[in-house]
Formats: sequence, structure tokens, C-alpha cells
Amino acid sequence: MSVADYTSSRRVRLGGLAVVTLGALAAVAVLVFDVPLERIFTVGFINRTLVGASPIALAAIGGLYAEKSGVFNIGLEGFMIFGAITAAAAMYGMGGTSPSQPHIWLAIAIAVAFTLALTILYAVLLIRYKADQIVAGLAIWFMGLGFAPFAASLLWDTVRSPGLASINNYSVPYLAEIPYLGSIVFNQSPLVVFTLVVVIVSWIFLYRTQYGYWIQAAGDNPKALDTAGVDVNRVRYATVIFSGAMAGLGGAVLLAHAGDFIGTGDTMVDGRGWIAIVAYLFGNYNPIGAALAALLFAGLDMLQIQFQTADITLFGRDISARLMGLAPYVGVIIVLTVWGKTRMPSSVGEPYEKEE
Amino acid sequence: MLDATVYERIGIAVGSTALALLISLVIVAAVGHDPLQFARDLIVGSFGSRRAFSRTLQFTTLFILAGVAVAVAFRAGVFNIGVQGQLIIGGISATLAIIWVAPFLPNGVGGGIALALLGLIAAMVTGGLYAAFPGVLKAYYGANEIITTIMLNFIAIGIVGWAVDGPLRPDDARSVRTDYLPDNVALPQLLFENPNFSIVGLAFALVVAIVISIVMTRTSLGYDMVTSGHQEPAATFSGVASKRMIVTTMTLSGMIAGLVGAIFAIMVQGYFIDPSGIGNYGFDAIAVSLLAANNPLGVVPAALLFGALDSSSSYVQINSGVPVQLIDGIVGLVVLFVAAPELFRMIAKRTGLGGDDR
Repeated sequence: MSVADYTSSRRVRLGGLAVVTLGALAAVAVLVFDVPLERIFTVGFINRTLVGASPIALAAIGGLYAEKSGVFNIGLEGFMIFGAITAAAAMYGMGGTSPSQPHIWLAIAIAVAFTLALTILYAVLLIRYKADQIVAGLAIWFMGLGFAPFAASLLWDTVRSPGLASINNYSVPYLAEIPYLGSIVFNQSPLVVFTLVVVIVSWIFLYRTQYGYWIQAAGDNPKALDTAGVDVNRVRYATVIFSGAMAGLGGAVLLAHAGDFIGTGDTMVDGRGWIAIVAYLFGNYNPIGAALAALLFAGLDMLQIQFQTADITLFGRDISARLMGLAPYVGVIIVLTVWGKTRMPSSVGEPYEKEE
Repeated sequence: MLDATVYERIGIAVGSTALALLISLVIVAAVGHDPLQFARDLIVGSFGSRRAFSRTLQFTTLFILAGVAVAVAFRAGVFNIGVQGQLIIGGISATLAIIWVAPFLPNGVGGGIALALLGLIAAMVTGGLYAAFPGVLKAYYGANEIITTIMLNFIAIGIVGWAVDGPLRPDDARSVRTDYLPDNVALPQLLFENPNFSIVGLAFALVVAIVISIVMTRTSLGYDMVTSGHQEPAATFSGVASKRMIVTTMTLSGMIAGLVGAIFAIMVQGYFIDPSGIGNYGFDAIAVSLLAANNPLGVVPAALLFGALDSSSSYVQINSGVPVQLIDGIVGLVVLFVAAPELFRMIAKRTGLGGDDR
């Protein structure tokens, strides 16, 4: 059996397992706890899941590009935090507490530019100075946890921003009124559609272009790529910088949907960067797979709202929103346990040194 | 980072700290505050008075224990990022064990000592178990421990936070907290008059650091842990079950992390609060341990440095108006520079300083 056969059969098997598990859970929910399913899987739920999945999917695609090329960018969470605070600060700088829609788009662009610049420094540390990839990635997270609330305090005197503005949905006349489909496809956040486009383009780029093959070779067989005359470290610089910018974009998109910055505790990013790493592992380093995994985790996250609004009780007691909010984290642990031994590119984590 | 001499490691630690502090001074100046005032406030706020000094030692105590917890794991090549969650679980367990057993024990000093010991044991058991779980997942299922321990941090904060705001919250409590610990459960006040610090707590932390240092360097358990982390084939060849060693390492690390929570509950707080509000000891401890090149004894001076930084933060904010969160940012910078020893080697070579250390 070839490697491709092996991974695809494994994927089918695990995908089947996931579907069966979800089905069983739903059956238990309906039969044992008398949960009204139609009140859980509403149009609102689907839209919230799409919105929630976008930042995770964007960061995950960045992370998988870096890892495909042989660098583990564990700093995704940190770059997301920097993206979110930069977008908030830019929005506030341009439009005060009532920024316009163009201000939001500009703020996202500024956030991407800033995190891109930051990642250049990070990439130099990782590739030129051979910094420990895990420790440096953690450092980016810690810096985000410190500097983002620090910046918020300077701007607004507290670690939370005042209400800024969130992105408006586009709405196609008439079509938006089609039941279900209309309010999902024709009345949607433009950032969700944008994310979808990014997912597809990054899939095509990785699997159908020459540069995409170089990226894969840089992670799986850097020596062969070097022999073929391609500078391995140059490819890695490009993917690491791309990954930081994508995580920054994810953070900015998160902020553009939320409409204000929260810097308490683990900040508003709250583990999404870590979930993004698991999303691309689960998606087997495939952008489309990663996006589907992001949907799964976002869906788990949004369940808490459904349980609240559907007024579901367990043994006669309300289910705590705080406990329900832990579902994505539990989901991540389960996914890693079942799907732990992923087929990592063979040279991940090793600095590449050209032999003279 | 194993291929560095002791001098090189010390050089890297001092260099990283100095560079991080220098950058923070530049940031302070850039946002319109006086960097000299900031630097002076850092020192005055941590060592300037007897009270400030005892507060510094209070943080140092927690950082020594948490730093040793991280060092044990990192030394053995296991990335336990979950010390924060493990100390939360340990802290709440110590608090509950003491509160539940207190009615059955006499009120005096003897009862107090017994309860404190009970709390420490409960914290070690639960903290150890909470760390053993991701250890098992890593060893037998290949689940990346960095991510599972971070997820378990979120889960610990969520569950304990829910519990202290719900079933564990007394009816008359105005803030989110558990019941108070009985009055006789406290460490004795010697030398310093500070209800949140006892020199006995510091001594306890130092003893733990020394014991762990001996275990890691002078016993076969420590040797097996380090070799299975860094040279798995060699360890397996010499008969060490490396999978079991991962679980053992995580358990030991989590037990020490649990102690941080117990000392926090008994010495500092006197009850347990919403864990999203307690300091990031488990994260700062990663910086402490890395700065000490994951050496349990080296953790002590590194913990003093971070204890001083944390201790001065409120003084700094009040006096120089610089938001306290800058301190967390400095921690991140220190970790970033520690990750790149090559950077310092290159600087050393360029400037001709200590270039022949290798």
C-alpha cells in the first residue's frame, strides 16, 4: 500500500469515526436528555460557527505552510493576539469609538502588515540564529499576553477597549430571503467568504504550483531541494513570514467580528491559536482539511450559546455556560489522542545547514 | 541547549535579561514615561523597604517551586506547559482537603500542622495526577504534550472557576472565593511581618529545590529521566522504559506544581479564588526555568529576579504610571532571547567578549 493510500484510508476511517461519534452523541442527547435538536442546529448556529471558524482556519493555514516547509511555528497564538490588538488600535486611531466599515478593512490590513514585520524578526531568530522553535514560539505567546494588554492600558486605561465597530454582513436582495440557504450564503460576513477563498487558493498553491512543491520538499527532503538548486532557507523564510501574517490576519478577523478588544486573562484569542495548530494536524496538513477541523472546533465553541438559548437543562439544572465553553478544549484533547501520530514532514524542527 | 558550558549558560541568562530590560526601557521611553524613574521604581518596589523585600520573597517562594516543576520536565525533554493548571488543581484540592477535615481535628498548633501537611499531600496527589494524564496521552497515544497541557490549563481554570463561583462559594461571600481556611492553618511569622509571607515557606521551597537537584543528578531515577528525554534509543537500549519515564517525569513535575498551589492557598491567600485571577506563576515559571538552563538550583536566583519584577509591578504602576502588563512582556522577551543562544554567541564573537568559551 502506498503512502497516499495509507493516509487516505486512515482519513476515511477517522472521518467515519468522527461522524459515528457525532451521530451517537446526538442520539444520546435526543433520547436520554430530551434535547431539542432542531433548536440546536439553527441557521444562527451555522452562521456563528462559520464566523467562529474563520480566524482559526486562517491561522491554521499559516501554521501548516510553515510546518510543511520544516519549521514548527508554535507562536500562532501570540501572533493572533498581536493581530487582534493591532487591528483594534488601528481602528481606534482612525475612527475613535465609531470607526466606519472602510476603517475596519484598513485596520485588518495594518494588523497584517504589523504582524508580518514582527514575523520577519521571528523568522531571522528561528532560521539564521537557529533559535529553539518551541521556546521561541512560547515566547511570542508570552509577549502577546504581556504587550497586548499593555498597549490596551496605554490607549484606554484598562485592558479592554471600548466598543469599536464590527464588520457588516453583505446582503443580496431577494436571494437573502430564501429560507436557510439565503441567510447563510446571501447574508453573510464578507470575511467568512474571504476565508473560504483563502482556503481554496492556499490548497491550489500548495498542491498545484511549483512553489508549493518546493514548500513540501523543504520539509520532507531539504537535501534534495538543495541539490535541485533551490535555497531551502529562503523557502522557509517565506513560509514562516506567511504563517505569522496569516495568524495576525486571523486575530484581526476575530476582532473585526467581535468589535472590541478584550485583554483580560488569556485575552480574546483564548487558545484559538493552539486550536489552529490542532486543526491542521487533524486536517492532515491539508488546507481544506484544516478548515473543516476549524469548523468542528468552532461548532463546539458555539454550542454553549445554543444550550443557553434553547434552555436545555441537565438533571433539572441549568448547564453552566462556563463549563460548556470548555467543549472545544476537551475536543482538542480527544482529537490529539485519537489522531496523535500524524505524518509530520520528516525534517520539522531541524535547522537546515548547507554543506559547503 | 545541552552543548553549552556553565559560563556560557550564565552569560546567556545575564545577556537575555539585560537585553530584555534594555528593550523595556526603550519602550517605556517611547510611550512617554521616564525610563530612569521606571528603573529606579523597579528596584525600590522590590527591595526598597522591608515590606517590599518580604513581598519579593513571597513571589520568589512560589517561583522557586513552580520553576523547579518546569525544570524537572524540561530537563527530561518533556514540555510541561501545564504547571499553571496543575497548581490550580493542587491549590483547590489543598483548600478543600483542609476545610473538610478541619472539624475532625483539634484546634491548636498540632491540628494546624496536621492540616497543612494534609493540604500539601492532597495538592501533590491531585497535581501529580493532573500532569500524569497528559503524560499518558503523550507516551501511549502520541498526543503533543505542549497542546494538551495548555488545553488542560484552560479546563482547570474553567472548572475550578465555575466551582468557586457555584457549589464551593459560601452564601455570605461577597467576592468569588471558597470558605476561609481555619486560623490555625498558617505558616509561622518569623523575621518578617507580612501576612502573605513566611520564611518557613521560602525554606520549604529551597529544600524542595535541593532535593530535586539531588534526585536529578545523583540518583538513577534522575539519570533515567534525563537520558530517556534526550537520548531515547540509548535509554531504551540500557533497559529504561522510556514511555513509563515520560509519565513518571510528568507526575513528578505535576506534584511539585501542586505544591505551588498549596503554598499559595496556605501561605499567601488563606482561601482559594477564581483561578483566572491568580498570577501566571505557571507561565512565568517557564521563563524562570529556561533562564536557569533547567537546573533546579539555578532556578533559585532566577526566581528571585522574577519575584522582584512581579513584586515591583504595583509600585511601578502607581509611581511611574507604566501599566503593569509591561512586566509580562519583559518575561516574554527574556524567553525569546534565551531561545536563541546563537545570537549571543555571535554578539560575543563580534565584540570579542568571551569568544573562547567554547
